[in-house]
Amino acid sequence: MAEFQWPWQYNFPPFFTIQPNKDTQAKQLEAWCLLVLSYCRHRRQYSLDVTDAQDSPLFHNQKIGRKLPLEAVYTVLEELRKKGNIEWTDPKKRNRCLIMWRTPEEWGKIIYQWVTSNGMNNTVCTTYELVNGDDTSNQEFHGMESWLLTRALQTLQIERKAELMGSEGVKFF
Amino acid sequence: MRRRGVGAGAIAKKKLAEARYKDRGTEIAADQLAQMSKQLETFQKHLEEFATKHKDDIRRNAEFRRQFQEMCAAVGVDPLASGKGFWSEMLGIGDFYYELGVQIVEVCLATKPRNGGLIMLDELRERIAGKSKARQDVSNDDLLRAIKKLKVLGSGFTAIPVGGGRYLVQSVPGELNMDHTTVLQLAEGSGFVSESSIVNKLRWEKERAQRVLDHMLKEGLAWVDDQATEGRQYWFPALFPDPAG
Repeated sequence: MAEFQWPWQYNFPPFFTIQPNKDTQAKQLEAWCLLVLSYCRHRRQYSLDVTDAQDSPLFHNQKIGRKLPLEAVYTVLEELRKKGNIEWTDPKKRNRCLIMWRTPEEWGKIIYQWVTSNGMNNTVCTTYELVNGDDTSNQEFHGMESWLLTRALQTLQIERKAELMGSEGVKFF
Repeated sequence: MRRRGVGAGAIAKKKLAEARYKDRGTEIAADQLAQMSKQLETFQKHLEEFATKHKDDIRRNAEFRRQFQEMCAAVGVDPLASGKGFWSEMLGIGDFYYELGVQIVEVCLATKPRNGGLIMLDELRERIAGKSKARQDVSNDDLLRAIKKLKVLGSGFTAIPVGGGRYLVQSVPGELNMDHTTVLQLAEGSGFVSESSIVNKLRWEKERAQRVLDHMLKEGLAWVDDQATEGRQYWFPALFPDPAG
């Protein structure tokens, strides 16, 4: 895996303090949202455990000795939830969330584009080979977790571009 | 016997002599003026010949350009004066600085979300040099001249010295007074200040320091860091290097 490119804010100590100026805070939260998504995308991470994440490099920059406080972590994740990029597995406990650095619709489009460019319209394939087969090893959706794949395929189903066949197969049109 | 030099006649005579001298003085002044004008004309002509001969050097070489500018200033010529004429048409010097001015505005606008409208001159130069091959030899002197021109156009641009020959370029017409720039100068080495460092180093009252810091926060020029062991620190993105393009 290539090394992750941290944005300039990551090494800027104030980035880990929620800013009092509202405009600055808005910029700060947007930067955090972007960082969380690109970090997860880089690591092909589809879920996040809040406690683990707080100690991970994502929210803890050891080099400059700054850590995003737990309350602020929740603020950032709440922003992402509003944008549709994360979903709490248990909204009451909020200790784990699913991550969608792309929405199911976006994923659906990407998968369908691959299907079309490989002339696989009107064919059936298993969901397994779709995300784990050699053919897709260089695709961004390779290794995608099944819960997300199902949602992505469902958006295609709505558009009549695909039909789910049980939990393990899909037909593309 | 009558005393000489006294009396109405003598006074009138004196007055006449004075008048004559005055005329003479005016004559001399007019003469000198004519001579000086002629000399100036000659200077300018030589400058024009020089400029034409070294047109390419002036465009390509920053040091040459700077010296040329100083020569012009010495004889009261402004090659950047807008409008037609020898300078702008023949040399395209005006174009050079005009284009530079446009690029400065572009870079400042692009980086404003990050630094609130304040950028180090060095960073500005690096970003402009990175934009095109033709801008490789742009110097800080060039930038300062272009910024001066921008300022004259009333665009809110100004260059603030922060010591050691370094400058901060402000591109938003916000109110930055001497207190603000002094605090920026204090922050320049490390990129941050705290209320106590201002009080200790500048010997200001707490309230004065806090006023400045509050203003910087309000203008989006500073961010707070509450995780430093010494207490709240105020960091300036403009003074924080961003190696990324």
